[in-house]
Amino acid sequence: MRRPVDASPGRRLSEPRSAELPPFLSRQPEGFYRSLNPATKLVIAFAMAAVAFAVREWTGPIVVLALVGTIAISAHIARRTVPFALATIPLVASIFLVNTFLYPGATDVLFKLGPVTATGSGLAAALQATLRVVAFALSVAILSLTTSTDDLLSDLERRGLGRRAVYVIGSAIGLIPRMLERAGEITDAQRARGLDTQGTPWRRIRGVLPLAGPMISGALSEVEERTLALEARAFAAPMHRTVLRRLPDSPAQRLIRWGVGIGSAVVIALALSGRLVLP
Amino acid sequence: MSGQFSTRVIALIPVAIAINIALGYTVQTVLKLPIYLDSIGTILVGVLAGPLAGLATGVLTNLIWQYAPGIGGGTIGPFAITAGVIGLLAGIWGRYGVYRSRPASGSQLLLAAIVAAALVIVVVLPIVNNQTYLDPNVGGFPDWAVPAAIGIAIIAAIVVAGFTYLRHDLAGLWVAGAGLVTGLIAAAVSAPISAYVFGGVTGSGTDVIVAALRQGGADVLNASLGQGFFSDPIDKMITSFVVFIVLAGLSPRIIARFPNGPRLVTVDEAPS
Repeated sequence: MRRPVDASPGRRLSEPRSAELPPFLSRQPEGFYRSLNPATKLVIAFAMAAVAFAVREWTGPIVVLALVGTIAISAHIARRTVPFALATIPLVASIFLVNTFLYPGATDVLFKLGPVTATGSGLAAALQATLRVVAFALSVAILSLTTSTDDLLSDLERRGLGRRAVYVIGSAIGLIPRMLERAGEITDAQRARGLDTQGTPWRRIRGVLPLAGPMISGALSEVEERTLALEARAFAAPMHRTVLRRLPDSPAQRLIRWGVGIGSAVVIALALSGRLVLP
Repeated sequence: MSGQFSTRVIALIPVAIAINIALGYTVQTVLKLPIYLDSIGTILVGVLAGPLAGLATGVLTNLIWQYAPGIGGGTIGPFAITAGVIGLLAGIWGRYGVYRSRPASGSQLLLAAIVAAALVIVVVLPIVNNQTYLDPNVGGFPDWAVPAAIGIAIIAAIVVAGFTYLRHDLAGLWVAGAGLVTGLIAAAVSAPISAYVFGGVTGSGTDVIVAALRQGGADVLNASLGQGFFSDPIDKMITSFVVFIVLAGLSPRIIARFPNGPRLVTVDEAPS
């Protein structure tokens, strides 16, 4: 059935009424934090990452860690954030070793271990860097554990993010597992043909091309098909797409978004310019 | 500007992002090489589609790697700035036709091969001449560090020169140069991020170099910079050559459809 459409560029089509949607499309996550609008959760996550990195010394990372912990426990995802924290172990170990023992200019010796000396200021710097890294990793964790990519992208599109950006992000996230799988297949195929993945570094460097070559040329022919598919579906048409699902939002959340965004920007600006001295 | 984001380029960018992540992951886990190789897709997009498309690919790669559920990017997010700069530079190289094949022969080819080898050595010299590496009392490096660096440089120089000479293609010189410059700039952009955000380390094998430079008396920023100047040019040179070889192996018909395509394919003269 064809519906007459207003073809004037930039004009939005009518918004759908959610009552018409089947239940699987209008599903609503449970719990307070999960049910927040995705844009609110995105703003909170970015603000926490920025504060953890930009507000130096102890306060910034500790405040963010406390917030992240509260959110994780109240949203019942504390257990699932553990892998995100564990993933930082190699970096944290490196931070501790390098900074505790080799902190430039530090003189407050804690103890000596062979040729290197552990210093108090080095240990403090290592602890701060660790808190920053863990706070950041957990801020990422609560965003990705409470927000589905589809919800986030469809909400951002409703707010005016271009369909090209939405397509690029959404399709990249969908493609990654497939591309990893394909990388595995190519590795196996090349190994069967004698690719050396165990030998000397020089032999392994020569393995880069047999891996990258088939991946890229295969992917480029896929680009060809995707281009045709997109063009066939009027991807370049100069109109806004109709939003099928409207995710709930409220004036209070709007206030939270602006408050969190401006508040963290002000705190960071004050801290960076040295006007706000925190312990 | 909008020509840089045709539907074809929009279809290419997510594929390039997935290539970056899948290849970076595979090279690090399967081949276990101490290089990143997570910018092949970014450089490919920059070369094929232009600086802004390259910039977008680089930045989005790191943000998606960090934030997408189930992939677990660790700490790659803040380096989105570096990845963006790499894509931007690749776009500029593409604009100037650096990745175009330039067939040559005779003395011109020989000269290019020698210049290419010299280029590699010139970049390694300041690293090798650095007091921290030379003096065992200062740097605390094992005796084999300097010979190893020189050895790597000589091998790289031979590979670049041999590549240029055997393929009868001046592009080897251009691609090596583009990779080196990209690597040096990427290192300069990464060092402050790593120093400011992560206390100067990245949690990978290259932290050994950071530790050695710190032991030699370098401060947090300079130690990260020294490590970057060591790893990044090698990494970006390998990446550039991989992109060049793959592009050279593709049908010109496919390449010519991208915005930068006409600058990348040498048009054969019509048979008379």
